[in-house]
Amino acid sequence: MSNNLKTALVLASIALAGFVGIIAKYWFLNG
Amino acid sequence: MSAVVDSHGHAADEHGHHDHHGGYGGIMRWITTTNHKDIGTLYLWFSLIMFMVGGTMAMAIRLELFQPGIQFFNPDLFNQFTTMHGLIMVFGAIMPAFVGFANWQIPMMIGAPDMAFARLNNWSFWLLPFAAVLLLSSFIVPGGAASAGWTLYPPLSVQTGMGMDLTIFAVHLLGMSSILGSINIITTILNMRAPTMGLMRMPLFVWTWLITAYLLLATMPVFAGAVTMTLTDRHFGTTFFNAAGGGDPVLYQHLFWFFGHPEVYIIALPAFGVISQVIPAFSRKPLFGYASMVYATFAIAFLSFIVWAHHMYTVGMPVTGQLFFMYATTLIAVPTGVKVFNWVATMWKGSLTFETPMLFAIGFLFLFTLGGFTGLVLAMVPIDIQLQDTYYVVAHFHYVMVAGALFSAYAGVYFWLPKWTGRMYDEKLGQIHFWLTMIFFNVTFFVQHFAGLAGMPRRIPDYPLMFETWNKISSIGAFGFGLSQLLFVYIILKAIRHGEKAPHKPWEGAGSLDWTRLPTPAPYHTFETPPVL
Repeated sequence: MSNNLKTALVLASIALAGFVGIIAKYWFLNG
Repeated sequence: MSAVVDSHGHAADEHGHHDHHGGYGGIMRWITTTNHKDIGTLYLWFSLIMFMVGGTMAMAIRLELFQPGIQFFNPDLFNQFTTMHGLIMVFGAIMPAFVGFANWQIPMMIGAPDMAFARLNNWSFWLLPFAAVLLLSSFIVPGGAASAGWTLYPPLSVQTGMGMDLTIFAVHLLGMSSILGSINIITTILNMRAPTMGLMRMPLFVWTWLITAYLLLATMPVFAGAVTMTLTDRHFGTTFFNAAGGGDPVLYQHLFWFFGHPEVYIIALPAFGVISQVIPAFSRKPLFGYASMVYATFAIAFLSFIVWAHHMYTVGMPVTGQLFFMYATTLIAVPTGVKVFNWVATMWKGSLTFETPMLFAIGFLFLFTLGGFTGLVLAMVPIDIQLQDTYYVVAHFHYVMVAGALFSAYAGVYFWLPKWTGRMYDEKLGQIHFWLTMIFFNVTFFVQHFAGLAGMPRRIPDYPLMFETWNKISSIGAFGFGLSQLLFVYIILKAIRHGEKAPHKPWEGAGSLDWTRLPTPAPYHTFETPPVL
Protein backbone atom coordinates (compact mmCIF):
# COMPACT_ATOMS: atom_id res chain seq x y z
CA MET A 1 0.00 0.00 0.00
CA SER A 2 1.49 3.34 -1.01
CA ASN A 3 2.17 6.15 1.43
CA ASN A 4 -0.37 8.31 -0.34
CA LEU A 5 -3.08 5.69 0.03
CA LYS A 6 -2.27 5.20 3.72
CA THR A 7 -2.49 8.94 4.38
CA ALA A 8 -5.75 9.18 2.46
CA LEU A 9 -7.33 6.28 4.33
CA VAL A 10 -6.43 7.77 7.71
CA LEU A 11 -7.89 11.14 6.67
CA ALA A 12 -11.01 9.58 5.17
CA SER A 13 -11.65 7.62 8.37
CA ILE A 14 -11.42 10.83 10.40
CA ALA A 15 -14.05 12.44 8.16
CA LEU A 16 -16.30 9.38 8.20
CA ALA A 17 -16.04 9.09 11.99
CA GLY A 18 -17.04 12.75 12.31
CA PHE A 19 -20.10 12.31 10.08
CA VAL A 20 -21.34 9.03 11.57
CA GLY A 21 -20.29 9.98 15.12
CA ILE A 22 -22.24 13.22 15.26
CA ILE A 23 -25.45 11.59 14.06
CA ALA A 24 -24.98 8.54 16.27
CA LYS A 25 -24.33 10.66 19.36
CA TYR A 26 -27.60 12.55 19.10
CA TRP A 27 -29.51 9.50 17.88
CA PHE A 28 -28.67 7.70 21.11
CA LEU A 29 -29.10 10.81 23.26
CA ASN A 30 -32.57 11.33 21.82
CA GLY A 31 -33.51 7.68 22.26
CA MET B 1 16.55 22.37 -15.76
CA SER B 2 15.53 18.91 -14.67
CA ALA B 3 12.39 20.24 -13.12
CA VAL B 4 10.75 21.13 -16.40
CA VAL B 5 10.21 17.94 -18.30
CA ASP B 6 7.12 17.04 -20.29
CA SER B 7 5.39 13.69 -20.35
CA HIS B 8 7.62 12.39 -23.13
CA GLY B 9 10.80 13.26 -21.37
CA HIS B 10 11.69 16.29 -23.49
CA ALA B 11 12.90 19.33 -21.67
CA ALA B 12 10.39 22.16 -22.08
CA ASP B 13 11.56 25.16 -24.03
CA GLU B 14 11.52 28.78 -22.92
CA HIS B 15 7.95 29.14 -24.11
CA GLY B 16 6.78 26.03 -22.33
CA HIS B 17 4.21 25.07 -24.96
CA HIS B 18 4.22 21.33 -24.46
CA ASP B 19 0.47 21.00 -24.31
CA HIS B 20 -0.12 17.26 -24.21
CA HIS B 21 -3.70 17.15 -23.07
CA GLY B 22 -4.14 13.40 -23.14
CA GLY B 23 -6.37 11.49 -25.52
CA TYR B 24 -9.31 13.87 -25.76
CA GLY B 25 -9.92 17.29 -27.20
CA GLY B 26 -12.73 19.81 -26.83
CA ILE B 27 -15.21 19.38 -24.02
CA MET B 28 -14.09 15.79 -23.30
CA ARG B 29 -10.66 17.11 -22.37
CA TRP B 30 -12.23 19.09 -19.55
CA ILE B 31 -14.58 16.33 -18.43
CA THR B 32 -11.90 13.66 -18.28
CA THR B 33 -8.86 15.71 -17.32
CA THR B 34 -6.74 14.64 -14.38
CA ASN B 35 -4.20 17.45 -14.76
CA HIS B 36 -4.03 19.75 -11.75
CA LYS B 37 -3.72 22.84 -13.93
CA ASP B 38 -6.82 21.96 -15.99
CA ILE B 39 -8.77 21.20 -12.82
CA GLY B 40 -7.57 24.45 -11.25
CA THR B 41 -8.84 26.28 -14.32
CA LEU B 42 -12.20 24.50 -14.07
CA TYR B 43 -12.54 25.50 -10.42
CA LEU B 44 -11.72 29.12 -11.22
CA TRP B 45 -14.22 29.41 -14.10
CA PHE B 46 -16.89 27.66 -12.04
CA SER B 47 -16.20 30.07 -9.20
CA LEU B 48 -16.50 33.08 -11.51
CA ILE B 49 -19.81 31.86 -12.96
CA MET B 50 -21.23 31.23 -9.48
CA PHE B 51 -19.95 34.63 -8.36
CA MET B 52 -22.00 36.19 -11.15
CA VAL B 53 -25.08 34.14 -10.22
CA GLY B 54 -24.77 34.97 -6.51
CA GLY B 55 -23.99 38.57 -7.42
CA THR B 56 -27.16 38.82 -9.50
CA MET B 57 -29.13 37.75 -6.43
CA ALA B 58 -27.31 40.41 -4.39
CA MET B 59 -28.37 43.00 -6.97
CA ALA B 60 -31.97 41.79 -6.65
CA ILE B 61 -31.75 42.10 -2.85
CA ARG B 62 -30.36 45.64 -3.04
CA LEU B 63 -32.93 46.58 -5.69
CA GLU B 64 -35.75 45.56 -3.34
CA LEU B 65 -34.11 47.42 -0.45
CA PHE B 66 -33.58 50.61 -2.46
CA GLN B 67 -36.66 52.09 -0.83
CA PRO B 68 -39.14 51.04 1.86
CA GLY B 69 -42.15 48.94 0.93
CA ILE B 70 -42.40 45.89 -1.29
CA GLN B 71 -41.26 46.90 -4.80
CA PHE B 72 -40.31 43.93 -6.93
CA PHE B 73 -40.24 40.64 -5.02
CA ASN B 74 -42.62 39.07 -2.57
CA PRO B 75 -41.09 38.48 0.90
CA ASP B 76 -40.77 34.72 0.39
CA LEU B 77 -38.80 35.14 -2.84
CA PHE B 78 -36.67 37.78 -1.11
CA ASN B 79 -35.82 35.26 1.61
CA GLN B 80 -34.97 32.69 -1.06
CA PHE B 81 -32.59 35.21 -2.63
CA THR B 82 -30.81 35.97 0.66
CA THR B 83 -30.49 32.24 1.43
CA MET B 84 -29.22 31.26 -2.00
CA HIS B 85 -26.96 34.31 -2.27
CA GLY B 86 -25.18 33.23 0.93
CA LEU B 87 -24.92 29.55 0.03
CA ILE B 88 -23.79 30.22 -3.54
CA MET B 89 -21.21 32.83 -2.59
CA VAL B 90 -19.68 30.78 0.25
CA PHE B 91 -19.80 27.29 -1.26
CA GLY B 92 -19.97 28.05 -4.96
CA ALA B 93 -17.81 31.13 -5.42
CA ILE B 94 -15.27 31.78 -2.67
CA MET B 95 -14.33 28.23 -1.67
CA PRO B 96 -13.93 26.93 -5.25
CA ALA B 97 -11.83 30.01 -6.11
CA PHE B 98 -9.28 29.14 -3.43
CA VAL B 99 -9.41 25.43 -4.31
CA GLY B 100 -8.65 26.54 -7.87
CA PHE B 101 -5.60 28.43 -6.61
CA ALA B 102 -4.60 25.36 -4.57
CA ASN B 103 -4.85 23.08 -7.60
CA TRP B 104 -2.81 25.36 -9.81
CA GLN B 105 -0.23 26.46 -7.30
CA ILE B 106 0.44 23.81 -4.65
CA PRO B 107 2.09 21.22 -6.93
CA MET B 108 4.14 23.95 -8.64
CA MET B 109 5.13 25.52 -5.32
CA ILE B 110 6.29 22.28 -3.68
CA GLY B 111 7.90 20.72 -6.76
CA ALA B 112 5.31 17.95 -7.24
CA PRO B 113 4.23 16.68 -10.69
CA ASP B 114 0.50 16.79 -9.87
CA MET B 115 -1.92 16.25 -7.00
CA ALA B 116 -1.58 12.94 -5.14
CA PHE B 117 -4.89 11.56 -6.44
CA ALA B 118 -5.43 12.95 -9.90
CA ARG B 119 -8.66 11.05 -10.71
CA LEU B 120 -10.13 11.90 -7.31
CA ASN B 121 -9.26 15.51 -8.08
CA ASN B 122 -11.36 15.34 -11.24
CA TRP B 123 -14.29 13.89 -9.27
CA SER B 124 -13.95 16.53 -6.53
CA PHE B 125 -14.51 19.21 -9.13
CA TRP B 126 -17.26 17.55 -11.15
CA LEU B 127 -19.42 17.13 -8.04
CA LEU B 128 -19.73 20.91 -7.92
CA PRO B 129 -21.77 21.59 -11.09
CA PHE B 130 -24.32 19.00 -9.97
CA ALA B 131 -24.57 20.70 -6.58
CA ALA B 132 -25.04 24.04 -8.36
CA VAL B 133 -27.82 22.58 -10.53
CA LEU B 134 -29.57 21.24 -7.41
CA LEU B 135 -29.31 24.62 -5.68
CA LEU B 136 -30.52 26.66 -8.64
CA SER B 137 -33.24 24.26 -9.76
CA SER B 138 -34.77 24.57 -6.30
CA PHE B 139 -36.21 27.92 -7.42
CA ILE B 140 -38.63 26.14 -9.77
CA VAL B 141 -39.93 23.38 -7.47
CA PRO B 142 -43.15 23.80 -5.46
CA GLY B 143 -42.49 26.10 -2.50
CA GLY B 144 -39.42 27.58 -4.15
CA ALA B 145 -35.82 27.49 -2.99
CA ALA B 146 -34.67 27.18 0.61
CA SER B 147 -35.54 30.37 2.46
CA ALA B 148 -34.29 29.71 6.00
CA GLY B 149 -31.09 31.74 5.58
CA TRP B 150 -27.73 30.22 4.56
CA THR B 151 -27.47 28.78 8.08
CA LEU B 152 -30.54 26.59 7.39
CA TYR B 153 -31.80 26.87 10.96
CA PRO B 154 -34.72 24.77 12.15
CA PRO B 155 -37.65 25.03 12.68
CA LEU B 156 -37.86 26.84 9.32
CA SER B 157 -35.63 24.33 7.56
CA VAL B 158 -37.78 21.45 8.81
CA GLN B 159 -41.03 23.07 7.72
CA THR B 160 -40.35 24.50 4.26
CA GLY B 161 -40.91 22.88 0.84
CA MET B 162 -38.84 20.47 -1.22
CA GLY B 163 -36.38 23.23 -2.17
CA MET B 164 -34.82 22.49 1.22
CA ASP B 165 -34.32 18.84 0.27
CA LEU B 166 -32.52 19.87 -2.89
CA THR B 167 -30.39 22.25 -0.83
CA ILE B 168 -29.53 19.49 1.65
CA PHE B 169 -28.45 17.16 -1.15
CA ALA B 170 -26.44 20.01 -2.67
CA VAL B 171 -24.71 20.52 0.69
CA HIS B 172 -23.91 16.79 0.76
CA LEU B 173 -22.28 17.02 -2.66
CA LEU B 174 -20.42 20.21 -1.78
CA GLY B 175 -19.24 18.65 1.47
CA MET B 176 -18.09 15.50 -0.28
CA SER B 177 -16.20 17.58 -2.82
CA SER B 178 -14.52 19.58 -0.05
CA ILE B 179 -13.56 16.49 1.96
CA LEU B 180 -12.11 14.68 -1.06
CA GLY B 181 -10.28 17.86 -2.04
CA SER B 182 -8.88 18.20 1.48
CA ILE B 183 -7.63 14.62 1.54
CA ASN B 184 -5.93 15.25 -1.79
CA ILE B 185 -4.33 18.50 -0.67
CA ILE B 186 -3.04 17.13 2.65
CA THR B 187 -1.63 14.00 1.00
CA THR B 188 0.02 16.03 -1.74
CA ILE B 189 1.66 18.45 0.68
CA LEU B 190 2.78 15.85 3.20
CA ASN B 191 4.03 13.20 0.77
CA MET B 192 4.97 14.88 -2.49
CA ARG B 193 7.16 17.86 -1.63
CA ALA B 194 10.56 18.14 -3.28
CA PRO B 195 12.89 15.99 -1.14
CA THR B 196 14.81 18.91 0.30
CA MET B 197 11.76 21.04 0.99
CA GLY B 198 11.12 20.75 4.73
CA LEU B 199 7.79 21.89 6.12
CA MET B 200 9.30 25.16 7.32
CA ARG B 201 10.59 25.92 3.82
CA MET B 202 7.17 25.71 2.19
CA PRO B 203 5.66 28.91 0.79
CA LEU B 204 3.10 30.33 3.20
CA PHE B 205 0.29 29.77 0.70
CA VAL B 206 0.99 26.04 0.96
CA TRP B 207 1.09 26.19 4.77
CA THR B 208 -2.23 27.99 4.98
CA TRP B 209 -3.83 25.43 2.65
CA LEU B 210 -2.45 22.50 4.67
CA ILE B 211 -4.06 23.86 7.82
CA THR B 212 -7.25 24.82 5.97
CA ALA B 213 -7.58 21.28 4.61
CA TYR B 214 -7.43 19.89 8.17
CA LEU B 215 -10.10 22.40 9.23
CA LEU B 216 -12.33 21.26 6.36
CA LEU B 217 -11.78 17.63 7.21
CA ALA B 218 -12.74 18.20 10.84
CA THR B 219 -15.78 20.41 10.36
CA MET B 220 -17.44 19.57 7.05
CA PRO B 221 -18.60 16.11 8.28
CA VAL B 222 -20.31 17.83 11.24
CA PHE B 223 -22.24 20.11 8.87
CA ALA B 224 -23.07 17.15 6.63
CA GLY B 225 -24.29 15.30 9.75
CA ALA B 226 -26.41 18.27 10.84
CA VAL B 227 -28.17 18.63 7.48
CA THR B 228 -28.66 14.86 7.33
CA MET B 229 -30.39 15.08 10.72
CA THR B 230 -32.54 17.89 9.29
CA LEU B 231 -33.41 15.60 6.38
CA THR B 232 -34.44 12.75 8.69
CA ASP B 233 -36.47 15.21 10.79
CA ARG B 234 -38.26 16.27 7.61
CA HIS B 235 -39.01 12.84 6.19
CA PHE B 236 -38.25 9.98 8.52
CA GLY B 237 -39.96 10.86 11.79
CA THR B 238 -36.89 11.76 13.87
CA THR B 239 -37.00 14.79 16.14
CA PHE B 240 -33.37 15.84 16.51
CA PHE B 241 -34.32 19.49 16.23
CA ASN B 242 -37.99 19.37 17.16
CA ALA B 243 -38.80 20.25 20.78
CA ALA B 244 -42.19 18.54 20.49
CA GLY B 245 -40.44 15.20 20.15
CA GLY B 246 -37.72 15.83 22.73
CA GLY B 247 -35.25 17.45 20.34
CA ASP B 248 -33.81 20.94 20.40
CA PRO B 249 -33.56 23.49 17.57
CA VAL B 250 -30.63 25.12 19.39
CA LEU B 251 -28.68 21.86 18.96
CA TYR B 252 -28.66 22.56 15.21
CA GLN B 253 -27.22 26.01 15.85
CA HIS B 254 -24.40 24.50 17.90
CA LEU B 255 -23.65 21.94 15.20
CA PHE B 256 -23.89 24.48 12.41
CA TRP B 257 -21.56 26.98 14.05
CA PHE B 258 -19.10 24.28 15.09
CA PHE B 259 -18.70 24.03 11.33
CA GLY B 260 -19.59 27.63 10.50
CA HIS B 261 -16.96 29.47 12.45
CA PRO B 262 -14.02 27.38 11.27
CA GLU B 263 -15.60 27.86 7.82
CA VAL B 264 -14.79 31.56 8.14
CA TYR B 265 -11.14 30.60 8.53
CA ILE B 266 -11.40 27.93 5.83
CA ILE B 267 -12.03 30.93 3.60
CA ALA B 268 -9.74 33.40 5.35
CA LEU B 269 -6.59 31.27 5.77
CA PRO B 270 -5.97 30.63 2.05
CA ALA B 271 -6.69 34.34 1.55
CA PHE B 272 -3.94 35.05 4.10
CA GLY B 273 -1.73 32.67 2.11
CA VAL B 274 -2.27 34.58 -1.14
CA ILE B 275 -1.55 37.90 0.57
CA SER B 276 1.61 36.39 2.08
CA GLN B 277 2.84 35.62 -1.45
CA VAL B 278 1.83 38.94 -3.00
CA ILE B 279 3.10 41.45 -0.42
CA PRO B 280 6.72 40.16 -0.34
CA ALA B 281 6.80 40.01 -4.16
CA PHE B 282 5.87 43.68 -4.53
CA SER B 283 7.93 44.77 -1.50
CA ARG B 284 10.95 42.93 -2.92
CA LYS B 285 11.69 41.54 0.53
CA PRO B 286 11.23 38.14 2.13
CA LEU B 287 8.11 37.75 4.25
CA PHE B 288 8.76 39.20 7.70
CA GLY B 289 8.40 36.65 10.53
CA TYR B 290 7.80 33.51 8.45
CA ALA B 291 7.81 31.15 11.45
CA SER B 292 5.48 33.37 13.45
CA MET B 293 3.12 33.45 10.44
CA VAL B 294 3.00 29.64 10.48
CA TYR B 295 2.40 29.50 14.24
CA ALA B 296 -0.22 32.25 14.02
CA THR B 297 -2.04 30.22 11.37
CA PHE B 298 -2.03 27.21 13.71
CA ALA B 299 -3.29 29.39 16.58
CA ILE B 300 -6.13 30.82 14.49
CA ALA B 301 -7.12 27.32 13.36
CA PHE B 302 -7.14 26.02 16.94
CA LEU B 303 -9.07 28.99 18.31
CA SER B 304 -11.63 28.74 15.51
CA PHE B 305 -12.86 25.49 17.11
CA ILE B 306 -13.64 27.03 20.50
CA VAL B 307 -15.51 30.21 19.61
CA TRP B 308 -18.58 28.93 17.74
CA ALA B 309 -21.20 30.05 20.26
CA HIS B 310 -20.33 33.72 19.83
CA HIS B 311 -22.86 33.48 16.98
CA MET B 312 -25.50 32.42 19.52
CA TYR B 313 -25.20 34.74 22.52
CA THR B 314 -28.94 35.44 22.42
CA VAL B 315 -30.18 31.84 22.56
CA GLY B 316 -30.09 31.81 26.35
CA MET B 317 -26.77 30.34 27.43
CA PRO B 318 -25.29 30.69 30.93
CA VAL B 319 -23.19 33.80 31.64
CA THR B 320 -20.14 31.58 32.15
CA GLY B 321 -20.67 30.24 28.63
CA GLN B 322 -21.01 33.74 27.23
CA LEU B 323 -17.84 34.82 29.03
CA PHE B 324 -15.87 31.81 27.79
CA PHE B 325 -16.85 32.39 24.17
CA MET B 326 -16.29 36.13 24.48
CA TYR B 327 -12.75 35.75 25.85
CA ALA B 328 -11.86 32.98 23.40
CA THR B 329 -13.09 35.12 20.50
CA THR B 330 -11.08 38.16 21.54
CA LEU B 331 -8.00 35.91 21.75
CA ILE B 332 -8.17 35.40 17.96
CA ALA B 333 -7.17 39.05 17.61
CA VAL B 334 -3.68 38.10 18.87
CA PRO B 335 -2.53 35.74 16.07
CA THR B 336 -4.45 37.82 13.53
CA GLY B 337 -2.61 40.88 14.82
CA VAL B 338 0.67 39.01 14.40
CA LYS B 339 -0.19 38.44 10.76
CA VAL B 340 -1.20 42.04 10.07
CA PHE B 341 1.95 43.26 11.83
CA ASN B 342 4.11 40.92 9.73
CA TRP B 343 2.53 42.05 6.46
CA VAL B 344 3.09 45.69 7.35
CA ALA B 345 6.63 44.91 8.53
CA THR B 346 7.28 43.16 5.21
CA MET B 347 6.38 46.38 3.42
CA TRP B 348 8.44 48.50 5.82
CA LYS B 349 11.45 49.89 3.97
CA GLY B 350 10.65 47.61 1.05
CA SER B 351 11.11 48.67 -2.55
CA LEU B 352 7.38 48.96 -3.08
CA THR B 353 5.51 49.10 -6.36
CA PHE B 354 1.76 49.19 -6.66
CA GLU B 355 0.64 46.94 -9.48
CA THR B 356 -2.91 45.60 -9.33
CA PRO B 357 -2.15 42.50 -7.18
CA MET B 358 -0.42 44.70 -4.60
CA LEU B 359 -3.27 47.22 -4.64
CA PHE B 360 -5.76 44.46 -3.88
CA ALA B 361 -3.42 43.09 -1.17
CA ILE B 362 -3.19 46.49 0.53
CA GLY B 363 -6.95 46.98 0.10
CA PHE B 364 -7.37 43.61 1.79
CA LEU B 365 -5.08 44.68 4.62
CA PHE B 366 -7.09 47.83 5.38
CA LEU B 367 -10.56 46.43 4.96
CA PHE B 368 -10.06 42.96 6.43
CA THR B 369 -8.57 44.60 9.52
CA LEU B 370 -11.65 46.81 9.73
CA GLY B 371 -13.82 43.68 9.46
CA GLY B 372 -11.73 42.15 12.23
CA PHE B 373 -12.33 45.16 14.46
CA THR B 374 -16.10 44.99 14.00
CA GLY B 375 -15.75 41.28 14.78
CA LEU B 376 -14.23 42.23 18.12
CA VAL B 377 -17.13 44.63 18.71
CA LEU B 378 -19.59 41.82 18.02
CA ALA B 379 -17.63 39.44 20.27
CA MET B 380 -18.62 41.55 23.29
CA VAL B 381 -21.73 39.93 24.75
CA PRO B 382 -23.57 43.10 25.86
CA ILE B 383 -22.97 44.78 22.50
CA ASP B 384 -23.82 41.70 20.48
CA ILE B 385 -27.15 41.34 22.26
CA GLN B 386 -28.02 44.78 20.87
CA LEU B 387 -26.64 44.13 17.41
CA GLN B 388 -27.65 40.48 16.89
CA ASP B 389 -29.33 40.02 13.50
CA THR B 390 -28.91 43.66 12.47
CA TYR B 391 -27.21 45.11 9.42
CA TYR B 392 -24.12 45.71 11.56
CA VAL B 393 -23.53 41.95 11.38
CA VAL B 394 -24.15 42.01 7.61
CA ALA B 395 -21.59 44.81 7.25
CA HIS B 396 -19.09 42.97 9.46
CA PHE B 397 -19.10 39.69 7.58
CA HIS B 398 -19.07 41.35 4.18
CA TYR B 399 -15.90 43.19 5.22
CA VAL B 400 -14.45 39.78 6.07
CA MET B 401 -15.84 37.82 3.12
CA VAL B 402 -15.70 40.40 0.31
CA ALA B 403 -12.87 42.70 1.34
CA GLY B 404 -11.05 39.73 2.86
CA ALA B 405 -11.62 36.74 0.63
CA LEU B 406 -12.66 38.39 -2.65
CA PHE B 407 -9.93 41.06 -2.61
CA SER B 408 -7.39 38.35 -1.88
CA ALA B 409 -8.77 36.20 -4.71
CA TYR B 410 -8.45 39.17 -7.09
CA ALA B 411 -4.88 39.73 -5.88
CA GLY B 412 -4.18 36.05 -6.58
CA VAL B 413 -5.73 36.06 -10.06
CA TYR B 414 -3.83 39.18 -11.18
CA PHE B 415 -0.62 37.85 -9.59
CA TRP B 416 -0.70 34.37 -11.13
CA LEU B 417 -2.53 35.07 -14.41
CA PRO B 418 0.77 35.53 -16.32
CA LYS B 419 2.03 32.20 -14.97
CA TRP B 420 -1.19 30.43 -15.92
CA THR B 421 -1.81 31.94 -19.35
CA GLY B 422 1.50 33.41 -20.46
CA ARG B 423 -0.32 36.71 -21.03
CA MET B 424 -0.31 39.98 -19.14
CA TYR B 425 -3.53 41.67 -18.14
CA ASP B 426 -4.08 45.37 -18.93
CA GLU B 427 -2.45 47.07 -15.92
CA LYS B 428 -4.36 50.32 -16.33
CA LEU B 429 -7.72 48.53 -16.47
CA GLY B 430 -6.66 46.38 -13.50
CA GLN B 431 -6.00 49.49 -11.44
CA ILE B 432 -9.33 51.01 -12.50
CA HIS B 433 -10.99 47.74 -11.45
CA PHE B 434 -9.31 47.98 -8.05
CA TRP B 435 -10.34 51.58 -7.37
CA LEU B 436 -13.92 51.07 -8.55
CA THR B 437 -14.18 47.92 -6.41
CA MET B 438 -12.62 49.63 -3.40
CA ILE B 439 -14.86 52.72 -3.58
CA PHE B 440 -18.13 50.95 -4.35
CA PHE B 441 -17.44 48.24 -1.76
CA ASN B 442 -17.21 50.86 0.97
CA VAL B 443 -20.21 52.80 -0.34
CA THR B 444 -22.20 49.55 -0.17
CA PHE B 445 -21.13 48.15 3.14
CA PHE B 446 -19.74 50.93 5.33
CA VAL B 447 -23.14 52.58 5.63
CA GLN B 448 -24.66 49.26 6.66
CA HIS B 449 -22.85 49.66 9.99
CA PHE B 450 -24.95 52.77 10.64
CA ALA B 451 -28.19 51.10 9.54
CA GLY B 452 -27.38 48.23 11.90
CA LEU B 453 -26.48 50.50 14.80
CA ALA B 454 -29.82 52.26 14.26
CA GLY B 455 -31.52 48.88 14.59
CA MET B 456 -32.30 47.73 11.05
CA PRO B 457 -32.81 43.94 11.09
CA ARG B 458 -31.27 41.70 8.41
CA ARG B 459 -33.19 39.36 6.08
CA ILE B 460 -36.24 41.60 5.61
CA PRO B 461 -37.56 43.01 2.30
CA ASP B 462 -39.19 46.05 3.91
CA TYR B 463 -38.11 48.54 6.57
CA PRO B 464 -39.24 51.73 8.34
CA LEU B 465 -38.70 55.07 6.60
CA MET B 466 -35.92 56.04 9.03
CA PHE B 467 -33.52 53.58 7.34
CA GLU B 468 -34.17 54.81 3.81
CA THR B 469 -31.08 57.02 3.33
CA TRP B 470 -28.57 54.37 4.39
CA ASN B 471 -30.28 51.79 2.20
CA LYS B 472 -30.37 54.04 -0.85
CA ILE B 473 -26.64 54.75 -0.52
CA SER B 474 -25.92 51.06 0.02
CA SER B 475 -27.97 50.03 -3.04
CA ILE B 476 -26.28 52.61 -5.27
CA GLY B 477 -22.92 51.32 -4.06
CA ALA B 478 -23.99 47.74 -4.73
CA PHE B 479 -25.03 48.48 -8.32
CA GLY B 480 -21.67 50.21 -8.90
CA PHE B 481 -19.85 47.29 -7.27
CA GLY B 482 -21.73 44.79 -9.43
CA LEU B 483 -20.98 46.66 -12.66
CA SER B 484 -17.31 47.01 -11.68
CA GLN B 485 -17.00 43.23 -11.52
CA LEU B 486 -18.05 42.99 -15.18
CA LEU B 487 -14.88 44.98 -15.88
CA PHE B 488 -12.92 42.16 -14.20
CA VAL B 489 -14.45 39.60 -16.58
CA TYR B 490 -13.52 41.85 -19.52
CA ILE B 491 -9.94 42.25 -18.24
CA ILE B 492 -9.48 38.50 -17.91
CA LEU B 493 -10.97 37.70 -21.33
CA LYS B 494 -8.93 40.48 -22.93
CA ALA B 495 -5.74 39.19 -21.30
CA ILE B 496 -6.36 35.61 -22.41
CA ARG B 497 -7.21 36.57 -26.01
CA HIS B 498 -5.13 39.64 -26.72
CA GLY B 499 -2.86 40.17 -23.75
CA GLU B 500 0.80 40.99 -24.25
CA LYS B 501 3.12 38.04 -23.92
CA ALA B 502 4.22 37.76 -20.30
CA PRO B 503 7.94 37.86 -19.56
CA HIS B 504 9.45 34.86 -17.79
CA LYS B 505 9.14 36.54 -14.41
CA PRO B 506 6.90 39.61 -14.53
CA TRP B 507 7.16 40.20 -10.78
CA GLU B 508 10.83 40.52 -9.91
CA GLY B 509 10.26 40.00 -6.18
CA ALA B 510 8.41 36.68 -6.56
CA GLY B 511 10.47 33.89 -5.06
CA SER B 512 8.54 30.62 -4.97
CA LEU B 513 9.41 27.62 -7.17
CA ASP B 514 6.64 28.32 -9.67
CA TRP B 515 8.30 31.63 -10.54
CA THR B 516 11.95 30.69 -10.14
CA ARG B 517 12.09 27.18 -11.65
CA LEU B 518 9.34 27.11 -14.27
CA PRO B 519 8.91 28.96 -17.55
CA THR B 520 5.98 31.30 -18.14
CA PRO B 521 3.40 30.09 -18.98
CA ALA B 522 3.83 26.95 -16.92
CA PRO B 523 4.02 23.88 -19.19
CA TYR B 524 1.18 21.37 -19.04
CA HIS B 525 3.35 18.89 -17.16
CA THR B 526 5.81 20.18 -14.59
CA PHE B 527 8.24 18.73 -12.06
CA GLU B 528 8.14 15.13 -13.22
CA THR B 529 11.64 15.08 -11.75
CA PRO B 530 11.70 16.68 -8.31
CA PRO B 531 13.67 19.92 -8.20
CA VAL B 532 16.76 20.22 -6.03
CA LEU B 533 16.47 23.27 -3.83
